Amino acid sequence: MLASEMFEFRNLLAGKGILFCYSGYMTEDVLSGIGQAIRMKLELEEADKAVARGVFSLFVEQVQNVIRYSAEKEELVMSGISKELRFGVLSVGNIDGDFFVSCSNLIEDDDVKRLDKNLKHIQTLDSDGLKKLYKETLRGETPDGSKGAGVGFIDIARRAKKGFEFDFMPVKDNRSYFCIKAYV
Amino acid sequence: MTKVNIPATERSPEVDFDFSVNKFALRGESYPEDVNAFFGPLMDQLESHFENQDAADILFTFELIYFNSSTAKILMGLFDMFDQAAESGNKVIVEWCYEEDDDNMEELGEEYGEDLEHADFVLKKVAAD
Repeated sequence: MLASEMFEFRNLLAGKGILFCYSGYMTEDVLSGIGQAIRMKLELEEADKAVARGVFSLFVEQVQNVIRYSAEKEELVMSGISKELRFGVLSVGNIDGDFFVSCSNLIEDDDVKRLDKNLKHIQTLDSDGLKKLYKETLRGETPDGSKGAGVGFIDIARRAKKGFEFDFMPVKDNRSYFCIKAYV
Repeated sequence: MTKVNIPATERSPEVDFDFSVNKFALRGESYPEDVNAFFGPLMDQLESHFENQDAADILFTFELIYFNSSTAKILMGLFDMFDQAAESGNKVIVEWCYEEDDDNMEELGEEYGEDLEHADFVLKKVAAD
C-alpha cells in the first residue's frame, strides 16, 4: 500500500517529465545540494553545456525567489538570531526535448497585480529589450511601470531561451498561489 | 591590509586581492545568500584604496563560472568604481575571462565592458574545463 501509493506519485511526476521535485522549506543549503545533483544529472545526460548552464541559472534564480519572497514562512530564533524558513515547490524536468525549471509558492494578494504586470511586460520584450531593462534595473533606473520586479525575473526571461509561462490562483486569507515555469 | 585572500566556497567566489601591487581577482561561482554581506566589506576596502591611488597600474581580473542576478548588481557597482579610478588618473585594466564555449558569459562581459569610458576592458577566452 505504502509503496504502491508512492510509486503512483512517482509515476505522476515522471509522466510530466519531472526529473527533480522538491516540496518543502527552502534554504541556501538545499539550493546547493539540489543544484549539484542537477549539474551531475545534466552532465550524465550529455546535455549541451549552454543548456546546462541555463537550467542551473533558472534554478538558482527561482529557488532564491522562494527563499526570499514566499509568503508561506516560519520564523525561528536560533541563538539570538532570527531566521526564516520559506516554503515552495520546485520541479526540474524535460518535456519534448526541452528542459524546464518551475517554482511555485504562496504570495500576498496585494502583490499579484504588480507581479502580473511586471511579468507580462517582460514577456513582450525581445532580447535587446530585455538587455536594456536588465541594465536599467541593475542601475536602479527602472521606469515606473517596471518597478519592483527586481532583476531576477528579467534574468529568468533572458535565460529561458524557449520562453516562460506563469499564472496565479486565489487561495484564501488574502493569499494567492503563484507558479512560474521557464524553458531552455 | 595589503592582501585579502578568501577561498572559494560552493556559492561564493575566490577573492584574491593584492593591494600592494594593485592586482585583484574574483574567481569561481557567485550566488551567496547575502551578496551585500559578502561583497560589502570588499567594496569598501577597494573604494578607499582606489581613492588613495595616483597614476597607478591597476589590474582587475574576473574569472567567473556563474553568477546570479544579485551578484550582477554588485558587478555593476565594481565597474563604476573601476571607471572612476581610471578617470582620476590611474591606468585601470579590467580583464573578463570566459570559457571558450560559454557565449553567455562572453556576452555578459561585453555588456559590462561597453559601459566603461575610462578603464580598459579586455575579453579573454580561456580553455573550458
